[in-house]
Amino acid sequence: MPEHDVLIVGAGLAGMRAGIESFRNGVDVAIITKVHPVRSHSNAAQGGINAAMGGEGSDDSWEIHAYDTVKGSDWLGDQDAIEIMAREAPQDIYELEHMGVIFARDEYGRLTTRNFGGASRQRTFFVADITGQAILHVMHEQVLKSGMRVYEEWFVLSLIKQDGACVGVVAMDIISGAVEVIRAKAVVLATGGIGRVYEPSTNGLICTGDGHALAYRIGAPMMDMEMVQYHPTTLKGNGALLTEGARGEGAYLINSEGDRFMKTYAPSKMELASRDVVSRSEITEIQEGRGVDGCVFLDCRHLGEKLIMERLGQIYELALEFANVDMVKDPVPVRPGMHYIMGGVKTDVDGATQIPGLYAAGEGANISIHGGNRLGANSLLETVVFGRRAGAAAAEYAQQSGAHPAAPESDLIEAQCQKFQMLMDRPDPGFTTAKLRLEMGVSMDKNVSVYRDEAGMQETLKTLQDLRARFDKICVHDKGKVYNWNLYSTLEMENMLDVAEAIVVSALARKESRGAHARLDYTERDDDEWLKHTLVYHSPEGPLIDFSPVTITQWPPERRVY
Amino acid sequence: MTTVNLKVKRYDPETKESRYQEYSIDVDENAALLDAIIAVREYQDPTLAVRCSCRSAICGSCGMRVNGHARLACKTKLAEIAPNGETVTVEPMGNMKPIKDLVTDMTAFWDKVKQIQPWLRAQQPPPDHEHIAKPDAMMDLAGTMNCIMCGCCVSDCASLEVDQNFIGPAALAKAYRFVGDPRETEQARDDRLKELSKYGGVWDCTHCFECVQVCPKDVAPMDRILDLRRTAMEAGYQDNYGAKHSNSFAKSVKNSGWLNEARVAVESFGVDDVSAQLKMLPTGVRALLRGKMPPLLHHKRPGSEHVKRIFQEMEND
Amino acid sequence: MRYAYYPGCVAQGGAPELFQAMKLVGERLGFSLEHLKEAACTGAGVLQERDPELGDALNARTFAMAERRGLPIMTICSTCQGVMSQANHRLTKDANYREFINQYLKPEGLEYQGDVEIKHFMWVLVEDYGLDRLKEQVKRPLTGVALAPFYGCYVLRPTSQLGYDEHPERGTYLEQIITALGGVAVDFEGKSRCCGFPILTMNRDNSLKMAGKHLLDAKGQGADVMVTPCPLCHLNLDGQQPEAEKILKTQINLPVIHLPQMVGLALGLEPRAVGLNRHITSARRFAAKVPA
Repeated sequence: MPEHDVLIVGAGLAGMRAGIESFRNGVDVAIITKVHPVRSHSNAAQGGINAAMGGEGSDDSWEIHAYDTVKGSDWLGDQDAIEIMAREAPQDIYELEHMGVIFARDEYGRLTTRNFGGASRQRTFFVADITGQAILHVMHEQVLKSGMRVYEEWFVLSLIKQDGACVGVVAMDIISGAVEVIRAKAVVLATGGIGRVYEPSTNGLICTGDGHALAYRIGAPMMDMEMVQYHPTTLKGNGALLTEGARGEGAYLINSEGDRFMKTYAPSKMELASRDVVSRSEITEIQEGRGVDGCVFLDCRHLGEKLIMERLGQIYELALEFANVDMVKDPVPVRPGMHYIMGGVKTDVDGATQIPGLYAAGEGANISIHGGNRLGANSLLETVVFGRRAGAAAAEYAQQSGAHPAAPESDLIEAQCQKFQMLMDRPDPGFTTAKLRLEMGVSMDKNVSVYRDEAGMQETLKTLQDLRARFDKICVHDKGKVYNWNLYSTLEMENMLDVAEAIVVSALARKESRGAHARLDYTERDDDEWLKHTLVYHSPEGPLIDFSPVTITQWPPERRVY
Repeated sequence: MTTVNLKVKRYDPETKESRYQEYSIDVDENAALLDAIIAVREYQDPTLAVRCSCRSAICGSCGMRVNGHARLACKTKLAEIAPNGETVTVEPMGNMKPIKDLVTDMTAFWDKVKQIQPWLRAQQPPPDHEHIAKPDAMMDLAGTMNCIMCGCCVSDCASLEVDQNFIGPAALAKAYRFVGDPRETEQARDDRLKELSKYGGVWDCTHCFECVQVCPKDVAPMDRILDLRRTAMEAGYQDNYGAKHSNSFAKSVKNSGWLNEARVAVESFGVDDVSAQLKMLPTGVRALLRGKMPPLLHHKRPGSEHVKRIFQEMEND
Repeated sequence: MRYAYYPGCVAQGGAPELFQAMKLVGERLGFSLEHLKEAACTGAGVLQERDPELGDALNARTFAMAERRGLPIMTICSTCQGVMSQANHRLTKDANYREFINQYLKPEGLEYQGDVEIKHFMWVLVEDYGLDRLKEQVKRPLTGVALAPFYGCYVLRPTSQLGYDEHPERGTYLEQIITALGGVAVDFEGKSRCCGFPILTMNRDNSLKMAGKHLLDAKGQGADVMVTPCPLCHLNLDGQQPEAEKILKTQINLPVIHLPQMVGLALGLEPRAVGLNRHITSARRFAAKVPA
C-alpha cells in the first residue's frame, strides 16, 4: 500500500503548486489526478493573472488590488485573505517567471500588463490568450523536475477519515481498474470547478466537483455555493470561452442596434465592469429585444489584425472554427455562460478545512477571495498563492503528525468493489447517467443562473430530488475493468448531484441579491441581514444550512457602482 | 441535425484484439467529430473509450487518427471532412499502444519529454525581479508554447514508426523552447545541443512534414527541429553524419551551383569513415553498372559565380 | 504549353533516365520546355535548415529568370517543387522580405517581382494539359497493370503552402493519371509517407526501413510497379532497394519508375527509350506486362 506524507488530489495549477511547495518543505509528496496534469482545466484560463506591481507611471498598490477584489466580491470576500493574496501576488508572478513562464514583455524586456474587468488599474500579466496553458505547462515542468510521484489517471473514490482526521484516500486506477488505498498524513484537495453541473458551461468535461463532494461527505462544509459566475462572453454555438482579455485590449460589446450598451449599465467601466454586472446587462439587452438569436456581439474589428493575431490568436481560432466568424472582419455573437464557482470547501488562509489533515486550494476551495463575484485574472492568482500556502501548511502538518495510523484497508477496498459490482449488476432502467446529467444541467442553467427566484429554484430542487431517485437505479453497462468511462462518469454524477443540491439550497437560503446571486424576488443587497457566508453541511437527511461572518479589515461595505 | 457515420477502430484490452465498429448518430450541423463521438458514448455505446475534456483544442486529450491522419477530434468539423455524410474512419493515434479503443498509452511520449530535461535552466539564484529578455525572442518562443502535448505529431511521425529511439517531434519542439530561451545559461544550452546532436536526436528527423501538417496548434515541430540543427551546428556540434552532410551539400552548391551527388555521398560520412563508405559502395557499383553513376567530373553550372557570391554575401551579413 | 524548365539536380545527375524520359514525353505532348541551365539547386531543404534566407535567395534567382521569360516554371522533382513552393510562399506574401532578398540578385541584374507560378509536371498534366486530352494521346494503355503511386512528402505537405486550397485534389493526381493511362492504381498505406531518403546518410537503417516498408506494403497490395514523381524518392526506393532487402531480410523486387517514364510508355515510347533498363530493380517484367 502506497504511503506519502502529503497527497495532493488534482494536478491543475493549485494542485501542482501545492505539490511543489510541499516538496520544497522536504516531505514525501505525491499528486493523484484523474487526467494527465497538462489536461487539467487551468489550461482554459486565457486572459491573465493579476498582481499590483506598480511600476513606471502607475500608482497601483496591493491595497488598490485588494479593494478592487473586495468590491468585485460585493463585500462577501474575506478581507484578511484578500489582503494576503494582493500582498503576495508580485512575488508569485516573479516566481512563475523564474520557473520559465513566457509572459508578455514590453520593449525594454520587462513584464507588461493588460487591462481587465473590474480592475481600477492595469495589472494583468499575460501570455497572449493562453496564460493558463502557459503557466500550467511550466508548472508541470517543475513537477517533472522534482521527480515526485504522480498517480496519473486515478480517480479518488473517497477520503479516509479516522479519529476525526483525514488520513488518505481510496482511489481507482482508471487504466487498470484496480482500487487501492493511498495513505497520507495530509491530503490537499485541488480538484477545480463544477461546470458539468450546468449545461452548457465553459468548463471541460472533467470539471465535476469531485473535491467538493469528497470533503462534504466527510463533514467539511462548503461555503457560498450559491455564487456561480456566468462569463459575459461565451461563444454562440459551442459555448467556448472568449477571454475578457479581448475587452481588456479594447473590444466592445454591442447590441443588435450596434450600440455599446454597457454605457447604460456601467458608464464609467463600460465593458470592463465586473462579470456579474456585464452578464446581467447582456441578459437585459437580449430580453428587451436588442439581441440576435439570444446573443449580443463582441466587436474586435477596431483592434486590427496584428493585435488580434498576437494577443488574441486562440479566441480568433475559436470564433473561426466553432462559429465561422472572422473576428478581424465581423463581430462575434456571444452570451453569458456558466464559467466558475466562487463557492467551495471552506478553508482558512492556509487552506486548512475544518477537518484536521484535510486542505483545499484553487477553485474547489473557498478561502474566501472572490465572495459574490470573482474578478477576471484573480483565479490564476488564487491558484498559485493559495496552492503554495496550502502545500506549505500540509507539509508542516504532516511533519508534526506521527506515523501513518493503521486502517482496515481491505474493508475500504472491498466496499468500493461491491459498489461497482452492484452498479453493474442492476437491470437497465431505461435511462443513462448522461441523460440524468443533461437534465440536471439544463435545469440548473434555467433556474440557478444569472437571475434566480424562489419558484424556479424550488423547481430545480424538485428536479434534483427526482434525479437522485432515478440515479439510485442507474446501471453501468460497461462491465470491463480497463478505462471504464461508464463507471467513473457515474461516480462523477454522484458527486455532482451533491454539489448541485448544495448550490440550490444555498441559493434558496440567501434572500437578497449580491454579486452573482441576483434574485428577482429579493433585488437588493441587504448588508444588515446578509453580510455573511452561507455554509452547507452534509447530513443523512440532506444538506444543512448554516452561516458564518465575513471578515472585514479596512473596507466597510459601500454601494457598488462601475 | 445531420446524420454522421463513424467507423471506429476498437481495441479490447482483455482479448487484445482490434476490430472496426460502425455507428450512426444524429448531431448538429456545426458539430465537431468529438461531439459525435461523445454522443455515441452517451447515447449508444457507453463502453466506447475516448479521452476528452475541454472541447476547444486546449487540453490536448482527444488526439486520434481521422481518415488516416492524426487530428484533435474537437477541432475537426464534420461538415468539412464528411460534407455528404461520408463514413469517417476513426482510429487511435499511431506510434503508441492502444489501452482501450481510442485511448492510447502515452508513457513513451512523456518519457521522451522527460529525456530532454524540460525545465528552464537559468542562472541561480534568480534575479530579485523578472529576467530582462528581448520581447522578440519571447514572441518566437510563444509559438512553441502553443504546444498542448496532444501527441498528434508523434502519432504520424515517420521516423518514430521505424525507430522508437527517436526523441520525436513533440519533445524536440519542447527542447527548442528551452534552447531558444534567452534566460537559459550558456552551459545549459550547450549541454542540450550536445545531447540533441546524438543518435535519436535532431538528425534523425526525416524531414517529411507530417508533424507540420497534423499539428493542430501550428507549432510546426519539424521547423523547430531544423532550427535546432542550425543552432547545434553553429555551436560547433559538427562531428556527426547530419552536419557533415549539410556542410558537404552546401559546399557543393556554393562552388558549382548544384549538387555533386557522388561527392556529397562520400563526404557525408567523412572520407575516413571506412565502414560507412563500404556500406554505400554496393549502391555506387550498381549505379555504375546501370550507367547512372553521377559524373565524377562535376561541371559548374553557368552563372555559378553568382551563386557563390550570394553564399558569400549572406555568410558575411 | 511553354514552361521555364527546372529538372533539378538528380535528373541531371544520378537519374539521367528521368531527364531523358521527360524530354521525349515533352516532345510527344507538344510542350515547349526552356531549360533554366543557370538555375542553382533549390537547396532541397538542406540549405534551408542552415540558412532559410540563403535558400530563398537562390530560389528567388531562379524565379526571376523565369519571370524575365514570362513563363511559369515546370519541374519534375517533388522535392524541388516543395522547396520552391515554400520559398515562393514567403517571397510573395511579404513584399518587404522580397525586397530584402532581391538585394542579393541585383548584381546579376535580376529581380523577382513575385509573379511566377511553379508547377510539377504531375500538376501540369492534370491542370494545364488535361486528363481528357492525355487519354486521347494514349497509344498503349496500361491495361491490367497495377501501379502503386508514391508521391514524395514535398508535393503533399504542408498543404497550406502547396496550393491545395485552390486545387484540393492535388493529393490524388497520381491515381488520376494512372487511371487516365488505363492502368490500375493500387491503394496502399505508405503512398503519402516518407521514402526515408533525407536521412540515408544520417541513419541508414531507419532510412532503408522506411523505403522497404512502403515497397513491401505496395507489393502486398498487388502492385506490379511503383511510380513516383520524385527522383529523390526514386534514389531510395529503387537505388537502395537491394540494401533495404538486406536490412529487412526479405526480398522485395518491386520496380520503381519515374512519372514521365510511365506517361512515355503509355504514349507509345519504347521501354528502352525512356530508360526503363536503367533501374537497379529490373523493370523488365513490368515492361513486358504493358500491352504492345
